[in-house]
Amino acid sequence: MMSHRSRTARAVVVALAAGSLALTACSKNEGGKSNADSKKDQKQAATQSQAVAYIDAAGSTGPAKDVPGAKAGGTIQVYQEAGLSHLDPGQIYVSDAGQIANLLFRRLTQFQEDDKGNVSVAGDLATDSGQSSDGGKTWTFKLKDGVKDQNGNAITSADVRHSVERLYAKFIFDGPTYLQTWLAGDANSADYRKQLPGGGFDGKHLPASVLDTPDDKTVVFHFDKPRPDLPQTLAMAGYAIVPEKADTKEKYDTAPVATGPYKIAEYKVGKVMKLVKNTNWDPKTDSVRHQYVDGFNFQFGVTESTQTKRLIADQGDNKNTIQFTGSVEATQIQDVVGNPEISKRTIKGYQPYVMQLDFNLDRVKDKKVREAVTYAVNSKSLIAGEGGAYGGDVAPNYFAPTLPGYEATYDPYGRLKTPQGNIEKAKEILKDVPAAEKKLVFAYSNSEAGQKRKVAIEDALTKVGIDVVAKEIDSASYYEQIGKLNNPYDIYISGWGQDWPSPSTVVTPVYDPSQVFDGSANYSHVKDPKVDALIKKAVTQEPTEAAATWKEAQHYLLENVIPAAPLWYTKQLQLFGSNIGGARYSSVSSYIDVTRLYLKS
Amino acid sequence: MTTLTKTEDASAPTGPESFLSVRDLKVTFSTEDGPVKAVDGLSFDVQRGKTLGIVGESGSGKSVTNLTILGLHSPRTTTVDGEIVMDGKELITASEKELEQLRGNKMAMIFQDPLTALSPFYTVGRQLSEPFMKHRGASKKEAKDRAIEMLTKVGIPQPKTRFDDYPHQFSGGMRQRAMIAMALMCDPDLLIADEPTTALDVTVQAQILDLLKDLQQEFGSAIIFITHDLGVISQMADDLLVMYAGRAVERGSAREVMSTPKHPYTWGLLSSMPRLDSNLDEALEPIPGAPPSLLTPPDGCRFHPRCAYTDLVPGNQCSTTRPPLGDGRASACHLTAEQKQTLFIDKIQPRLR
Amino acid sequence: MLQFIIRRTLGAVVTLFLIGAATFFLFVAAPSDYASLACGKDCSPQRLADIREALGLNLPVAQQFWDFMTGIFMGRDFPTGHCSAPCLGQSFYSGEMVWSTIMDRFPLTLTLTVGGSIVFLVVGIGAGMLAAFRRGSFVDKFATGASMVLSSFQIYFLGPIVLVILVYSTGLMEDPKYVPLTQDPVGWFVGMSIPVCVMATIFTAQYTRMARSSMIEQLAEEHVRTARAKGMSKKYVFFRYAWRGSLIPIVTVFGIDFSAMLGGAVVTELTFSLQGIGRLAVNGATTKDLPLTMGVMLVGAFFILIVNILTDIAYAFIDPRVRLS
Repeated sequence: MMSHRSRTARAVVVALAAGSLALTACSKNEGGKSNADSKKDQKQAATQSQAVAYIDAAGSTGPAKDVPGAKAGGTIQVYQEAGLSHLDPGQIYVSDAGQIANLLFRRLTQFQEDDKGNVSVAGDLATDSGQSSDGGKTWTFKLKDGVKDQNGNAITSADVRHSVERLYAKFIFDGPTYLQTWLAGDANSADYRKQLPGGGFDGKHLPASVLDTPDDKTVVFHFDKPRPDLPQTLAMAGYAIVPEKADTKEKYDTAPVATGPYKIAEYKVGKVMKLVKNTNWDPKTDSVRHQYVDGFNFQFGVTESTQTKRLIADQGDNKNTIQFTGSVEATQIQDVVGNPEISKRTIKGYQPYVMQLDFNLDRVKDKKVREAVTYAVNSKSLIAGEGGAYGGDVAPNYFAPTLPGYEATYDPYGRLKTPQGNIEKAKEILKDVPAAEKKLVFAYSNSEAGQKRKVAIEDALTKVGIDVVAKEIDSASYYEQIGKLNNPYDIYISGWGQDWPSPSTVVTPVYDPSQVFDGSANYSHVKDPKVDALIKKAVTQEPTEAAATWKEAQHYLLENVIPAAPLWYTKQLQLFGSNIGGARYSSVSSYIDVTRLYLKS
Repeated sequence: MTTLTKTEDASAPTGPESFLSVRDLKVTFSTEDGPVKAVDGLSFDVQRGKTLGIVGESGSGKSVTNLTILGLHSPRTTTVDGEIVMDGKELITASEKELEQLRGNKMAMIFQDPLTALSPFYTVGRQLSEPFMKHRGASKKEAKDRAIEMLTKVGIPQPKTRFDDYPHQFSGGMRQRAMIAMALMCDPDLLIADEPTTALDVTVQAQILDLLKDLQQEFGSAIIFITHDLGVISQMADDLLVMYAGRAVERGSAREVMSTPKHPYTWGLLSSMPRLDSNLDEALEPIPGAPPSLLTPPDGCRFHPRCAYTDLVPGNQCSTTRPPLGDGRASACHLTAEQKQTLFIDKIQPRLR
Repeated sequence: MLQFIIRRTLGAVVTLFLIGAATFFLFVAAPSDYASLACGKDCSPQRLADIREALGLNLPVAQQFWDFMTGIFMGRDFPTGHCSAPCLGQSFYSGEMVWSTIMDRFPLTLTLTVGGSIVFLVVGIGAGMLAAFRRGSFVDKFATGASMVLSSFQIYFLGPIVLVILVYSTGLMEDPKYVPLTQDPVGWFVGMSIPVCVMATIFTAQYTRMARSSMIEQLAEEHVRTARAKGMSKKYVFFRYAWRGSLIPIVTVFGIDFSAMLGGAVVTELTFSLQGIGRLAVNGATTKDLPLTMGVMLVGAFFILIVNILTDIAYAFIDPRVRLS
């Protein structure tokens, strides 16, 4: 979640969006045409926001299609501001570690993007994206031949089982929990660790009725209800393979064993990391990754401001350098996009985040107030504070352009026509509302961005006659504070992005009644029976059917419940050196696609 | 020490035996507010073996005069006119190098507060030895012997061990003795003592004064003794110069000036001096008013705004014309000799005894 | 003197303990902890409890403090391995031992501190003394003017300008970076020269002004005049009498600056994207990484106390009046 947090309290990347899997168009831009670009991005995104396709065995074999003009050799320099929080795949739920996992680790399945930005799921270790039976309750994966870890040991079904079982151990606490809770079943999901307290290390395993490995090459998952999204879930970095023999438990977090095209040669936590080719990785088994360069040299601690300046200058080794998960610093955006020579060295596109103004439904009970505020908010001035057209775009509804089911023109509050807010309409709605209800406590982060947002919100709401009481919160604990169930605030801004391209990873965590507890992302405390019913229905449907259910859920939420006012979609803008080839925006990671880079000379 | 104007007023007595002779000395400080005439046309002489006392309130220019003799004024902000001749050598025009050779050697100075005037960072011995080594080319050993000799002479007990002490390890009186020993290291011909006893208690003060007198007898130095304390001066000085606002107002032998003062300012000084034998009920008579600002000194006689007898002088002479200071026994006042005598006998003397 | 050092050292140990305790309990008293910040997405109460347990935050506060403090002297065992004394715990965020993290960053901080100090002491005090010696001259006016202008600069202002001139636009020099001295002395010197010089420039200006005014003040001292009255030359008096006294305020300020720099130069580190103690401290505080913050605080406090003692010893060497007291 929360690109917001990533910008304000960089160090707290732990809390950032998980391997945010986004569906976006736009790999390169021509530079300098920001407005036009925005429209184009939207259009492309819209056409591609369809349910993800699952690829068969033929599409899952390697080697990956060559990148035109690609050359082998050389070392890419990588700039990154904050150190990585984890390298143990089981602990990886955040963007930066997720991004490096694409170079180091393989999973059962993986996302595959074509040149147009279409995303599908292919088999990674598995021969295909998985075979479901029993109405989607059982999933079977067959392992490819010739897959080895960096030590040359073949990966077997026992390794897959181990990779799953170790997630039950106490020392794994930061990664995703979808698979574990699904395997535990609805009744036991809250405390899934009880299913296997030893994490498989003590010789005890999950029963074959849950996770079965009938032979060396076969893995079978059994669930208590259909899990149509499983291939996408297993593509998360958090479900990458940890070879059983190589597992060092807690120590694995700083010295993992690679299965991908690169392995770690040197790592000083928070300072430098050198990746070199993993000679035991066989390109013939991988339909996505390449191994063009000899390695990657990571330099941590380089601030985004410095990254941008150095990459603009493009001197010496900076020609061979990329930003990893950092973006062009907001104050330097114009220097980058205003110069065509520099602008052509950028990648940009939508991030999966929708920023919205949440209403605390326990406190703002009058729907008229929520409706009026939704009309009144000024997306335009908010986006200006985010760096303009390269920082964000007006959001007319709750679904990001990266999400299947995104409706570019679904705009019940006329946001696209009046991005600066519809003051008259809001005033009219508030006409009969008693003054006591027109006083709203607004919580904002004390970061620079937070201050700008505060001004924009205060301005807009004051214009329609709402008395805004602004309360400042320390930026580091902002999400924690607004995540408290009994928080003393009426309205606050939050952002949420999908875990994989399905509304189930958005609507469920943000609006599901069962998600109303301290620290949950249901910041509005939505407890609506109809929403609950729609979610329960959609999660067991095949993606294509589910789309209609999710659409119904969104429309109902935005028009009848109004738990939040949609504000803007966040955008990504990264810069790379002039000698970097093959750079494109990955709609899966929402960063530069690191699996296909090469050096031009 | 910049320009030397010709001295026209050679009004002071010039005996051939004068060791130091100051003529029409003018010292001006340039400040942000304008020039300050700290000393304005001062002339006096000092003979070998004699002591000249200079009295006056703070700011009357007595210390400035003596720093100027040594050439220790700041050349950046100070303009000096006139003539200072010591033993036939003109000092105002002398180079810094020549002055360095004279300072601490032929002329030495004892400062008022020995606590601040001695460096806290070096031993007393080292501070004593330095000038001897410099001026006499003596070795460390010779200088040390000399320093111990001088420390003994000024009455420091256990001089050999005290040699290695720091000034803060000395008592106030001892520090002043060390200071005197330092000034005498090279047998100076001229010794300038700037209120050397002000910081000391009365018994120590008497000892120091005795010491100075004894040493003068022994070395035959000329001494300029600066003080605002008339009691001290009467014990020490042969001749006396009374200064007010940068000018000399009265001159004469110490005995003459003390017994028959001729200037209203001197009368004021004497009247405001407590005496051991005076009646406790009798109030002291302070001089009314405050010393003038030297930025904008009064015209005419500088004392006239505070003087009670200006009415007795015909016309506005006191506020327009500077009264001259004659040769020898003299006072710079427009009152006639008779008037002075009458006033002194009628009004002042009864107060003094 | 020995007794003095022993007494002060004991005092420093007590102070360090108190600073450690204050930091720890203030940190624990803060409204949020690392676990709730780290919990992030899908933060269920169960997940929060798991994180707390993994980090040892579920233990009683007193016990956590005791474990931390005893670890400094006895070492500790973590699931990832043994942490030998002096053990400052394991970073919540990176999982690395705090002591080795600090030791890893320290050479850079030391380079900045010592390198910068040498430059600004030599240049700053030299220029200040020269200006005082030739007061009112062109040299004085130039030094005073230049230091006025420079001291109104800030590192985050001057740094980027220097970078643009020397690195980004001309490529005359490479991006500042830290290479260990033992590995590549030339690379170390070249890589750190810009940060060291820029930081030193700001300090140089301050020290020039301080040395000048301190010197002028000393020259007006009576004992300096006495030395002149003894016939000692201007130069001799300047360098033997006045100079020594003028060192006292410089030593005082330098002690404060030096220990503060050893505790990390955040602005310099950020401006040049270097990784020293300063950014560790900032990261520790913003991520609520208790062991890291404790470690950096204690190491910083340790330096302040050591430098304090050294400053006092330096006073004793300069001024005999403070000896033996």
